[in-house]
Amino acid sequence: MTVKVLVVDDSGFFRRRVIEMLSGDSRLEVVGQSADGREAIRKTQELKPDVITMDIEMPVMDGITAVRRIMAIQPTPILMFSSLTHEGAQSTFEALEAGAVDYLPKNFHELSNKRDEVTRLLCSRVWSVGQAGAKRPPSVSTASPAPARRATGSTIPALNRTTPSASKGSFKLLAIGSSTGGPVALQEVLTKLPGDFPLPIVLVQHMPGSFTQAFAKRLDQMSKIEIREAQDGDQLKPGLALLAPGGKQMLIEGRGDTLRIRITESEPGQNYKPCVDVTFSSIAKVMPSKTLAVIMTGMGADGREGSRVLKQGGSTIWAQDEATSVIYGMPMAVAEAGIAEKILPLPDIATQIVNNV
Amino acid sequence: MAIEADDEILQDFLVEAGEILEQLNEQLVELEQNPQDLDLLNAVFRGFHTIKGGAGFLTLDPMVAVCHRAEDVFNVLRTGDITLDASMMDSFLAVLDILNDQFARITDGEDPVAADDALLLALEKMTTGSSDEEVPSAPVEEVKPEAVVEQVAEPARETDPQGDITDDEFEALLDTLQGSGDAPKTGSSADVKPEPAGNDSPGGDAISDEEFEDLLDQLHGDGGGPTAKSTAEDKVASTDAGSDEINDDEFEAMLDQMHGAGKGPTVTAGDSTTPTDVDKGSAETPKAPEPAKKVVSADDAKSAKPAATKQVAKPTAEATVRVDTRRLDDIMNMVGELVLVRNRLHTLKEAMNDEEVSKAVSNLDIVTSDLQSAVMKTRMQPIKKVFGRFPRVVRDLARSLKKEINLEMVGEETDLDKNLVEALADPLVHLVRNSVDHGIEMPDERQALGKPRAGSVVLSAAQEGDHILLTILDDGAGMDPDVLREKAVEKGLMDTESAARLDDKECYDLIFHPGFSTKAEISDVSGRGVGMDVVKTRISQLNGSIEIDSQKGKGTTLSIKLPLTLAILPTLMVKVGARNFALPLTSVNEIFHLESFTTNVVDGQLTVMVRDKAMPLFYLTKWLVTSMDDKEASEDVEEQVVVTHLGNQRIGFVVSQVVGQEEVVIKPLGHLLHGLDGFAGATITGDGRIALILDVPSLMRAHVR
Repeated sequence: MTVKVLVVDDSGFFRRRVIEMLSGDSRLEVVGQSADGREAIRKTQELKPDVITMDIEMPVMDGITAVRRIMAIQPTPILMFSSLTHEGAQSTFEALEAGAVDYLPKNFHELSNKRDEVTRLLCSRVWSVGQAGAKRPPSVSTASPAPARRATGSTIPALNRTTPSASKGSFKLLAIGSSTGGPVALQEVLTKLPGDFPLPIVLVQHMPGSFTQAFAKRLDQMSKIEIREAQDGDQLKPGLALLAPGGKQMLIEGRGDTLRIRITESEPGQNYKPCVDVTFSSIAKVMPSKTLAVIMTGMGADGREGSRVLKQGGSTIWAQDEATSVIYGMPMAVAEAGIAEKILPLPDIATQIVNNV
Repeated sequence: MAIEADDEILQDFLVEAGEILEQLNEQLVELEQNPQDLDLLNAVFRGFHTIKGGAGFLTLDPMVAVCHRAEDVFNVLRTGDITLDASMMDSFLAVLDILNDQFARITDGEDPVAADDALLLALEKMTTGSSDEEVPSAPVEEVKPEAVVEQVAEPARETDPQGDITDDEFEALLDTLQGSGDAPKTGSSADVKPEPAGNDSPGGDAISDEEFEDLLDQLHGDGGGPTAKSTAEDKVASTDAGSDEINDDEFEAMLDQMHGAGKGPTVTAGDSTTPTDVDKGSAETPKAPEPAKKVVSADDAKSAKPAATKQVAKPTAEATVRVDTRRLDDIMNMVGELVLVRNRLHTLKEAMNDEEVSKAVSNLDIVTSDLQSAVMKTRMQPIKKVFGRFPRVVRDLARSLKKEINLEMVGEETDLDKNLVEALADPLVHLVRNSVDHGIEMPDERQALGKPRAGSVVLSAAQEGDHILLTILDDGAGMDPDVLREKAVEKGLMDTESAARLDDKECYDLIFHPGFSTKAEISDVSGRGVGMDVVKTRISQLNGSIEIDSQKGKGTTLSIKLPLTLAILPTLMVKVGARNFALPLTSVNEIFHLESFTTNVVDGQLTVMVRDKAMPLFYLTKWLVTSMDDKEASEDVEEQVVVTHLGNQRIGFVVSQVVGQEEVVIKPLGHLLHGLDGFAGATITGDGRIALILDVPSLMRAHVR
């Protein structure tokens, strides 16, 4: 069964290039193309593709609006083509929030310098997005309620704290690793944490370097805790979430209560920048037994080895469940390795975190 | 080149980029009229964005660099944070020129040349410098009142109470101000709590260039350096596209655009008006040209014809296919052959007198006509493709001549054959430049004459029956027949006496004489004296005619008549002796019997008086038939006069018999006959014989004087 693809871009040149690359893969079949968002909606209803690749800047109707409409009318996995720029980040997050599954750089050189490699990456990404099926991300936020949320922050119903687990209070650090689908999932979890959250948080989300700062800022605006992109030398402190910068690796160093961030360049061979395994392994050295690590939605198996080391040191590992994961890859790896103590649906993760720390 | 691009991909890119550049050309000029038009700003932004994308794919770095910066500026422009002014416009037009140059170089297989740093820097400054609110010394009033309220309402928010604004906060501030104006705006405003403190920031008013650069780098993550290096990629150079091919491709692109669901404001209503069926053209009332003033905004256009726009906006279910125009030409040729067979059957039908056959032939007749017009439509392009370049031409010209000109364009959506559209471009540019340069006076001069300071040039196109009428009308100085007469004598074109005999209209026609230029000084705009006769020749080659009319002090009107297509020619079939000849119908004015008129020989020239005007009369038998038999055969036939015209001179041709109107497919003459004066080609007539197609101007040249 081939994955049917609809290619949406206002540039005929770009459409033809994408179609050219996709048609080389026997698992994929390009069933149509559209030059604007409105046409894309119509073609989606008509052709019922398994995956849509979507440009953002288009006439008549832009890509983000189209994603929103398509997800309302006929939920379909959508892969965005974004500019990996600061401005591009904003629109990409909007598209993800609207329901797009994943994104790829519009400038293919940012994927690889080799054409074959670009083609391979593009095809495999389209294929796996198609495999993900049309899961409506369980996003609670439909609009962009940033100001409202902050204003009414204190009145968000207190999360149920009545069932503290045995280990309550023993955690010293919360670490979350995620990839595809992660931006929306992180938003879902972090916005539910109270402003007086008692632990420092480190976040590792697979993302290009030009995106992480904007992403951190976006999360910060939506959440009651403070969130920013980690910088070399930053000190971990309660209520502060530090997001690993894209394109680099984030290590946690120090001892006791003075843990600091160390940012290093990626070494050759490290596929993920940032890499969950790298960060988690460094945590295992400084906080082996008192870390709560959560692996959320994402492609691949990054985080499994890091989690394993943490688990061996006595830390607790949770994984997101299959039903709510946009891509059940990384959580599955952890779950199948038998190191996850809890398998949780996304809406419960924040509650469980609050109840257990 | 990192991604090895083959020729085909490069060509594909060039087609699309060429199309976008053409649109940008129009859109930018339009934008100068409506700097706030959001649709237009978006369209221009997307234009640069798309070119950048394609150029990026092919690692045409110099192109990426300049597009990237232009895109950035428009990204800010469309948020309304800064507004477009004339000097910015000049920069953008410079950008466009550079892009066009890069485009041309790539097309020619050369490496694109990077834009000079000064321009790139100027563009960068636009995104930051020209809007004060983005500099740390932001005026306090920039803070939205709501934001202040939020601040007060939320004292809990941890912010550095000190005046020093941190990098992050500064970044946030920038983002907020530059953000795309969506919902989080107010929210994020609250983040930049120490807003007024920004004034104390070390940057202050005197922000150095370097700081600007840093700022930019921060803002545009992957901006690269401001200096675009011209990376010499040989691969790019490997293309050698003939200009013909590009034109074909452009045509295809145009077709795509026509079928596309209203890509931008420039492609609005025009598409929905169906090209008038050529066959039935004469039966239809000429389409009333809608005055679509060039400066009309998309909104105006929408409100003007809501129905049409709606149609465009609605996604149509078409799937477009790119077809090589050579294939279209082939099809057109075959249809031409079919028309000939049809004509032949028609003739046979008469002879057979069989009702069944008649019916079948009539059916074939209809189908052939439909097929012919359908194929023709595939080759039709709106004349907008040519008109589109005029706003820029006129704008630049007006600026360099320091004149004020309003250009109005009417009937841009008029469709005509692709070949004609291409062939018309140069002559029209020349004529419009002429109108602006020679026609329109300087503003002060105009004012003194009691005219509005701004001159007006109206360019219009309309379909009239089976031909297209193009007019260029200006309200300038007009032409002085006496000056023209003097000039003609001075140039030795004729003696004083014959000059004096010319009527006004004939005087105006003098400007079409080779080597005739009325402007004392040769300007770099027009007036090299080679233009007008070349224009005239070109238009004659297209089976068209050009007429000029002028009124001293009031202005000049140039009208060009063209057939809808070049492939099929409506002709008047005549017999000279026993042979058939076809006269292009466009050159035929009237037909009458010779016997009812009296002829005189004046000055050795046979003439006939028609409606009190003398007209020279020529026996075509003398020119075209040599054999005695033929001559004898023609003796007893009653003679008819076909009145044609050469310029404004009416000429009578005496023929043996007028057969009737027939659409013929022009076949070029073979090698042996090629270049023979007086003939435009040959065709096969309905009775299966070969007829030569007469070319009046060259026929006259060959046999008179």
